[in-house]
Amino acid sequence: MWGDGKRLIDDVRRWRSEGWVTADGEARILADLAQRGSGLSLASALGILASVLLSFAILSFVAAHWQEMPRLLRLGMLLGLIWAGYIAAGLFATRGKPLFSDAAILFAVAAFGASIMLISQMFHIDGNPPDGVLLWWLGAALSGIALRSNPALALAMVLVAVWTGMKSGDTGDVHWPFLIGWGAITAAFIWHRWTPGAHISGIALTVFIVSLGYLLGRGHEHALVVMLGLVSVAAAIAANTYRPEWKAISDPALGYAIATTFAGLFAIQFIENITTGALIGYAAVTLALLLAAIWYGLDVDHRGALWLGYVGFSIEVLAVYAKTVGTILDTSLFFLVAGLIVAALAFMAWRIATRTDATRGAV
Amino acid sequence: MTMTTSFTGLTPGKNYWALLIGVALLQTGYLAKMALDRVSLLKHGREITLQVQPVDPRDIFRGDYVILGYDISQVATADASTGASLKNVTRGSAIYVTLAPSTDATWAVKGVSASYPPAVEATDVVLKGRVTYRRPIDGSGNENVSVRYGIESYFVPEGTGKALETAVQTQKMQAIIAVDADGTPAIKGLIINGERHVDPPLL
Repeated sequence: MWGDGKRLIDDVRRWRSEGWVTADGEARILADLAQRGSGLSLASALGILASVLLSFAILSFVAAHWQEMPRLLRLGMLLGLIWAGYIAAGLFATRGKPLFSDAAILFAVAAFGASIMLISQMFHIDGNPPDGVLLWWLGAALSGIALRSNPALALAMVLVAVWTGMKSGDTGDVHWPFLIGWGAITAAFIWHRWTPGAHISGIALTVFIVSLGYLLGRGHEHALVVMLGLVSVAAAIAANTYRPEWKAISDPALGYAIATTFAGLFAIQFIENITTGALIGYAAVTLALLLAAIWYGLDVDHRGALWLGYVGFSIEVLAVYAKTVGTILDTSLFFLVAGLIVAALAFMAWRIATRTDATRGAV
Repeated sequence: MTMTTSFTGLTPGKNYWALLIGVALLQTGYLAKMALDRVSLLKHGREITLQVQPVDPRDIFRGDYVILGYDISQVATADASTGASLKNVTRGSAIYVTLAPSTDATWAVKGVSASYPPAVEATDVVLKGRVTYRRPIDGSGNENVSVRYGIESYFVPEGTGKALETAVQTQKMQAIIAVDADGTPAIKGLIINGERHVDPPLL
């Protein structure tokens, strides 16, 4: 936002000097931009960092002097730290410093997590480490939702992911309760209209769906991942087209859906054992889908789809090369065909572009 | 729908203080309950003594805690209590191990079941654990079941872990465990060479 805004201001000034925008128009655009404000400012980033550093400072102090304190004092200190965080948050908020208020909430949530660990240590509770993380993310989500604090919610989502990772690692099975935590926190992100939250949710869900391919069906369910990815791509494109008001969600969703589909296809081709013939078939489909993503990205100006298309295309081509490097004939044939297809597509695109220009010129 | 990248686009409402205090109360209240539950378990739980097994020395000392292995950490499906089926007991599921006092003042496995046994003799005690894995014993149709009770970590003051490690390797060591009515165990302290070391009480 910050970088884009600065560029837009430069552009508007240039458009004004070129005479494309009136002086009044320039003033209005600049006023609108100024009102929008800068989201992730340096001050907010530093405030959050300071909160993280303070949390570590206090925790390491507590850890260093832990054994010298009577047990009741230890417990009182931990609970006191949590209260201190929330009271500081209230004082900052009522003095019109919501940024520091958020940092203080994050500190309180960190202290809550540390307390879970230190109380466990005090009573030699070895129990189930994932249960401790579950308790922590519930606490973080409570703070994030009740106090409408986005950093606390972001931490909660990270903890949901850690919790699921630990559970899956323990049982070697899919940890479906992930979806409950993910759904609750994602709903809160949408309620708060927070763009980075949509991306955090997107990343978490992508990793979860891709992991299904490795956990279900004895680790061979990558086709399911591809199907889920393709359905999501279709849904995101449909939403982009017919429900533009949902663009704020469907736009990032499309990027993660493309990434999911590609990760599934990649696993089928390069993790599973398949014949060279099947590999070439899948590779052709994958490249076609990636070209479609690039085309769509150019058509509707979706930068995510465009770049994922380019990056995916490069990874796919390199991976095919690495896997078939022993069978040179097949490899060269594959690249020959792929090269011809892309050349044909380039020619078509050029024809369409010149035709559109011609039509425009006629009007 | 417009979205924002701002951390703090939300203005705190009228009830902000009430919400803050509510959240703080819930979180600290839960933590206090967690601690007090333990205190009560340690105070009122039935006390038993378990033989600690020597653990691989490379694993035993990690940071500021000692990993304790027990004789009862390994049970076999052949130990199943009369009428109990362990068929549905898999990795991660709960398991109930009935212990009876043995001759050397420690406790040993008497029965294993997937749910809390309906009838327990007054002298016996039931421990709730979680299965970490099952492994068949060659050719016997019987299986080894590894159980974690949540009493496998003993946190020690910084720098004293090495001494404890040596104690486990060279001397007889037992753990004093408190067990509550539903089978949850907690470490009360250790007995090293017949000497009792118990944590001071919270209150």
